[in-house]
Amino acid sequence: MQDKAMDTNQVMRQVIYALALGVAAQVYFFGFSVLVQIALAVITALAAEALVLRMRGMQIAPSLRDGSAVLTAVLLAIAIPSIAPWWIIVLGVLFAIVFGKQLFGGLGNNPFNPAMLGYAFLLISYPLQMTQWPSEFQGALAIFEFSGVDALTGATNLDYVKTQLMLGESIGALTFESISQMWINFGFLLGGIYLLLRRIVFWHIPLSLIAGLALMSSILYLIDPANFSSPVFHLINGATMLAAFFIATDPVSASTTPLGRLIYGFAIGAIIIVIRVFGGYPDAVAFAVLLMNITVPLIDYYTQPKVFGK
Amino acid sequence: MSNFTFKGGLVLENPFPAKEIDLIRIPLPDRVVLPMQQRIGDQAKPCVSVGDHVLTGQVIATIDDDRCAPVHASISGTVVAIDNQVMAHQSGLEALCVTIESDGEDEWMDNSVACTENYDFCTPDTIYNKIRLSGIVGMGGAGFPTHTKVQFAEGCHTLIVNATECEPGIMCDDALMQAYPTKVIRGVEVLLHICGAEKAIIAIEDDKKESIELLRKFCKNERITIEAIPTKYTSGAEKILVKSLLGIEIPSGGYASDVGVLCQNVGTLVAIFDAVVENRPLISRVVTITGSAIKEPKNLQVRLGASYDYVLSFADIEQGENDIRMAGMMMGVDLEGTNYSISKNTNCIFVNKPIEKPSAQECIRCGMCNTVCPVELLPQQLYWYSKSSNIEKALDYNLLDCIECGCCSHVCPSNIPLVDYYQFAKALNKQQTKEKEQTDNARERFEFREFRLERNKQERAEMMEAKKKALKEKMAKDKAQKIAIAAAQERVNAAKTAKESEDAR
Repeated sequence: MQDKAMDTNQVMRQVIYALALGVAAQVYFFGFSVLVQIALAVITALAAEALVLRMRGMQIAPSLRDGSAVLTAVLLAIAIPSIAPWWIIVLGVLFAIVFGKQLFGGLGNNPFNPAMLGYAFLLISYPLQMTQWPSEFQGALAIFEFSGVDALTGATNLDYVKTQLMLGESIGALTFESISQMWINFGFLLGGIYLLLRRIVFWHIPLSLIAGLALMSSILYLIDPANFSSPVFHLINGATMLAAFFIATDPVSASTTPLGRLIYGFAIGAIIIVIRVFGGYPDAVAFAVLLMNITVPLIDYYTQPKVFGK
Repeated sequence: MSNFTFKGGLVLENPFPAKEIDLIRIPLPDRVVLPMQQRIGDQAKPCVSVGDHVLTGQVIATIDDDRCAPVHASISGTVVAIDNQVMAHQSGLEALCVTIESDGEDEWMDNSVACTENYDFCTPDTIYNKIRLSGIVGMGGAGFPTHTKVQFAEGCHTLIVNATECEPGIMCDDALMQAYPTKVIRGVEVLLHICGAEKAIIAIEDDKKESIELLRKFCKNERITIEAIPTKYTSGAEKILVKSLLGIEIPSGGYASDVGVLCQNVGTLVAIFDAVVENRPLISRVVTITGSAIKEPKNLQVRLGASYDYVLSFADIEQGENDIRMAGMMMGVDLEGTNYSISKNTNCIFVNKPIEKPSAQECIRCGMCNTVCPVELLPQQLYWYSKSSNIEKALDYNLLDCIECGCCSHVCPSNIPLVDYYQFAKALNKQQTKEKEQTDNARERFEFREFRLERNKQERAEMMEAKKKALKEKMAKDKAQKIAIAAAQERVNAAKTAKESEDAR
């Protein structure tokens, strides 16, 4: 790491490549609709970015080439249910690129993670479409159908736990047939390790996020194992690994000091558990990340490293 | 500490290694252009006129400013011009220069006067003056007058000789050490004699094996140690060097002298040796000629004031448009053309084949920069606030501690010329501080004037009051007196009448 390793475009591209394993797992379990979502998202993102850049009177080609819009699009596309109708992803990406990124001044100037802003927008506006996941191996191409989707849907494990607990079941009595989440998380974990080894992301945020998530869920689990899921369950379900390595590590909206990154990641991990367990949403990555995005200027200011001679 | 390394920094390879590091003396130039303006301080005042014949080593300009050094003729010949010439600086600003045309004789001044060859018998003051009069400045590139630096370091405990030559590509110190190892050692002894330090450390990067060996071989003085330090960029920055050698951190805003250390470049020590022992003022230096357009990098011993074109004519340069850069590839400056002359701090000239610089992209706050910053700043935050001219915030993030080494710019994946932004912010800060001082002064003056007017008014009022009171008192007194007189008169009159009536009876 002594010389310049790669430029910004290459960094973005590497991150996109590193998503491949997790995406492959998604495709395996949910079918090619995942790829269709990604394609839709990328096209929308590039078009939206080009349009806004044109309106702002800026050069279009260099910005499209930097890959940041594509990365935002891919992250959002794999975060939403693969059977969501086509206009969901289009609206989400439009919101992410136009409101989340370009209105703040484009790459490098957005205080919030654009993909998560798009996700939060979708989750609040279209909760039904955003919470219906396909049953494993049945995804097909439901995104272009306007009816008959219900027959295909199944609940994610996180959702399942929530509803069963509400019905008065104890966690020990639940059986999980779904293994897709585990494999998808594993795929993103491997991709994340690749990024760490290539030193494209620093270890601080992924590690502290996982630590925060594990610690918070362990405390709850130790207090009452009947009503709270185990840390292992939280680590392999939902968007945990995607969040740890690909979402919370978006450098633009994350804290930038070494100590700040640890605090930032840890807090996201802890907040994810709090929202998952006590909140009304099935997963909590988007809100946890956005909440911590707000605190970044403060964290950065108070966690400056000791400067030479001071 | 034991291995003399430091946080941050970059391991950089010499991009254009030379097969052999020789010091080549090039023939005398036909003409030299000597600038009166040196790095900081006032410019020296020429004490020769056009048409004068000067000898090599003769003083041609003097100065009272302590931050400047006198200038000597580097060849013998005739002064043909004293006018403004473009300086080797990005700004392309002009400054006063003395141009001397050579007579080809290289006839020296009589330099046996005030000889300090046996410096052991001279007082430190004598040697100190000799250094001052010999026009010696820091030869590492900073160009700060040596006599002033030595004066600041009075009472220091350690002398550090900076022979790290940490910028990749530059080889002039290495060449100098290999050519004159004894001069280096004796130069250190001279400086130890006058600065009062107990010990001296010569720090050399460990890739210069020949120099380390040679100096160790020739060094017989117990007070001098030669240390090999890791080859890692910014090892030669004064603050970093002091920290890695001695474990002492120079406080923010301070200098090496604040912690009892005197740092001098190895080239400066050779210049001190020449001045003190051989009675020769500073009239030449070693310049590295390197770059992608040069077939074999060379180290040339060059008379000061020789033109870049003349010096470059001794190197094999590939034809075509080339980019010229003065000093290191990290901290140097890009120049327009070659119409400059070698000055006391020209340590290296790069002649590079033009390459298209990748255009800068937006900062994504990836944080690569803060992992390489040797003074542990957050360059990404400084960039953000410098770019928006938010100087107050930039100062909060310790803008003034930046040593402008360029490590951050070098690793930036978005190719942002970060140091340019910091230099801009520093300049803006200077300007704002000055403006604030001026407005403060103006306000103080105004407030004092108001205060003075008010005070005068009050004083006058008090004076009037006192006068009035005095007058009143006087009038009252007068009246009383008048009454008293009248009463007395009355009494006299009464007495008179009484006497008269008595007389009448």
